Amino acid sequence: MATTRNFAVEDGNLSSSLTTARVRKFSDVDLSFTAKATGDIFKKQDLAAIKQSVKNILLTGKLEKPFNPDFSGGLGNILFENMDDITQVEVETAVSLAIRSFEPRAILDTVSVKPNIDRNELHVTVRFGIKNTGEQVTLDTTLSRLR
Amino acid sequence: MATSVSSTQLDFNTIKNSLKTYFAQQSEFADYDFEGSGLNNILDVLAYNTHFNALTANFALNEAFLSTAQLRSSVVSHAATLGYTPRSRTASRAEVNLNVNLAGVTNRPSSLILPAGTQFTTTVEDVTYTFSTLEDYVATDNGEGVYAFLNQAGGTTITIYEGDIKQKTFLVGEVGERQLYVIQDQTIDTTTASIRVYDTAASDNFVTYTPINTAVTVASTSRYYQISEAPNGFYELNFGDGISFGRAPIAGEKIVVSYLSCVGGAANGASAFTPQTTVVVNNRGYTLNVTTVNSAGVGGPRQTTESIRQNAPIAFAAQQRLVTADDYRAIIQSNFATVTDAIAWGGEDNVPPDYGKVFMSLVFEDGTTADQQTAVKNQIVQQISNNLSILSIDTDFKDPTTTYLELVLTFNFDPNLTGQTIKATESNVFETIKTYVNNNLKRFDGVFRRSELLSVIDELSPAILNSRVNVKLQQRFVPDLTVRTSYKIYFPVEIGAPNQIDHTVTTSTFIYDGKVCSIKNALNNTKLQIVNSIGEIEVDNIGSFNSLDGTVTITGFLPTSITAGVNYLKVSIKPANESTVRPLRSYILDIDEGPSFATGSVDRQQSIVTLSGGTGVTSEVYSAAEQQPTVSYITTGATQGVVISPSLAPNITPSSGS
Repeated sequence: MATTRNFAVEDGNLSSSLTTARVRKFSDVDLSFTAKATGDIFKKQDLAAIKQSVKNILLTGKLEKPFNPDFSGGLGNILFENMDDITQVEVETAVSLAIRSFEPRAILDTVSVKPNIDRNELHVTVRFGIKNTGEQVTLDTTLSRLR
Repeated sequence: MATSVSSTQLDFNTIKNSLKTYFAQQSEFADYDFEGSGLNNILDVLAYNTHFNALTANFALNEAFLSTAQLRSSVVSHAATLGYTPRSRTASRAEVNLNVNLAGVTNRPSSLILPAGTQFTTTVEDVTYTFSTLEDYVATDNGEGVYAFLNQAGGTTITIYEGDIKQKTFLVGEVGERQLYVIQDQTIDTTTASIRVYDTAASDNFVTYTPINTAVTVASTSRYYQISEAPNGFYELNFGDGISFGRAPIAGEKIVVSYLSCVGGAANGASAFTPQTTVVVNNRGYTLNVTTVNSAGVGGPRQTTESIRQNAPIAFAAQQRLVTADDYRAIIQSNFATVTDAIAWGGEDNVPPDYGKVFMSLVFEDGTTADQQTAVKNQIVQQISNNLSILSIDTDFKDPTTTYLELVLTFNFDPNLTGQTIKATESNVFETIKTYVNNNLKRFDGVFRRSELLSVIDELSPAILNSRVNVKLQQRFVPDLTVRTSYKIYFPVEIGAPNQIDHTVTTSTFIYDGKVCSIKNALNNTKLQIVNSIGEIEVDNIGSFNSLDGTVTITGFLPTSITAGVNYLKVSIKPANESTVRPLRSYILDIDEGPSFATGSVDRQQSIVTLSGGTGVTSEVYSAAEQQPTVSYITTGATQGVVISPSLAPNITPSSGS
């Protein structure tokens, strides 16, 4: 809970509380680019924006982002390897490394990967907290090969 | 809120940061600086697009100027605006004597004709090349049945050219404002092209057109052509328009272009030629005898992009006339593929002065024989100097004089700043010196600048803390071992003044009077002495050197032999100015790798060690008793002297006695 302090009027207190930490609002473009009735696109805010960002990081492959070759969730490369016992560990490591490296707003809690070997699928569940508010978020995504 | 995005940079990150700065000033979207956000991805696309367009614009702008263009087609196009036609491939050519021996044959003809296109084969490095004659040659019976083919001047030297004679035929239709005829062949030697224009497609009547660059006057009916390189590397044949530079072929006429398709310089050096045909007399073939006069040479590739870039502006300034020294250089280099560098200077600048002459010095490609060099020089005089130079100016040639640099480079080396050993770094440094010499010197106007070299060395590795180089210049001459002879050696720079510490002039060793000796100047003197290996003077005065003239004179010198298995003596001098060595006239600077080397000394950049252990200024106060001067008197014969302790006042009048 944010601490508030009061100062004397002589010291410049104009009856408003002084906040020790700036609460920053997060707002991002909705990458589905769905249009509102007004013609504008939808926005993603706060929790939803961070969730979209994490998903975006995980699904970005190495060398995909211009002039930032290391920016990657690392899942793309693993998906095209033969799936075996260590695939789960590899994915967990890649996901946690990517979120720690590229999403400073999220505090990673757990990464859970469940491979579905018969269907060549990976179910990835990422639990993380938001730094500003402490809210917990769970991101579920399924990765499967298209061909 | 900002309404514009400032982006004048080419760098992706700078552009992206400009976009972020823009977004920082609005409140609608806040996630622009998180790399995973959707907005950041959109910024990536925008910045990449801007970056791409900026680079494209930059490249396009570079191509717009001769000095920065990268594409050959752009450089050729810029050169064309200056009236400069880049040189095409040049066919190798050899000189041979050709004859047929019909001794004993009855009903011998009075003459034989060797038709143009007669082929000869030869082999260079296991590759077979074909040489051909380009014109008809006639031979007459010498009375004994030997028919020697003669050139137009009546000599027996016949030139044969490497390559295949090819032909392109163009039927002229209705022409537009400017009609070009494309010769789709990059292997053409344009100097061998022959352009014939026939009245009709079936006619045998033709008129030969000549190259526009040989024109003296041009009228609307003049028949000139121009072959120039097209943007795609092929060649284009261009005629006049009836106004500017002569008549153009009209509809219904036929143009036949025949030329030599060659490989360039690959066939240079070929010396044994085998004829591919016999000479038929009375329905019987007789062997064509070939004697090589000069091996194949002169062949070369088409002019390089850098050469075009360098020569086009100079050729434009020369205006196809030989007036200034640069004119000679531009015109010779654009006409002779085997000449890699050329320089000219007026006779008034020569040493000794020789008025009314232009002196030239040429550097030929490696492998060009002496005969081929002479042939090129003759062509320069006959085809270029005599036609283009100012009246009453003669052309003379001087061989280039190589002045060798002896570079002793030392550097401080901190092994903590690199994984390389000091020996490996020394080797790297020496290789860098050689590369510097190859890239910057070895040509007529190649000036040695010491600081330039040291900058390159200092940049080589962070472990090289500082460097210095001692520079000496060296000339070589072959002394006569039979007759006592005097020599005067000219250096292109002033020689350093003699000093008390080391010798300004030194030579390599030779045998004199049964001892290994060398010539050195006496310390603090310009006199030269022959000194043996243990430092004893064998001859006290064998000559002298003149610092201002840059000359070393060796008088009455007769060594028994030269050591080190060579026949020449190296004369090394310390130049007055080691920082800049500028070669004059026909001098070319090169490096003598023998006495040159690089050596490093370890410097771990520790400041705790000093020479005396002290720092700054120290002082010591004398006691009262010590303030009196210490005086001692010396009486030796008639001379009296006073020795005064130097730390005290000297104004003391000595008195006799003690």
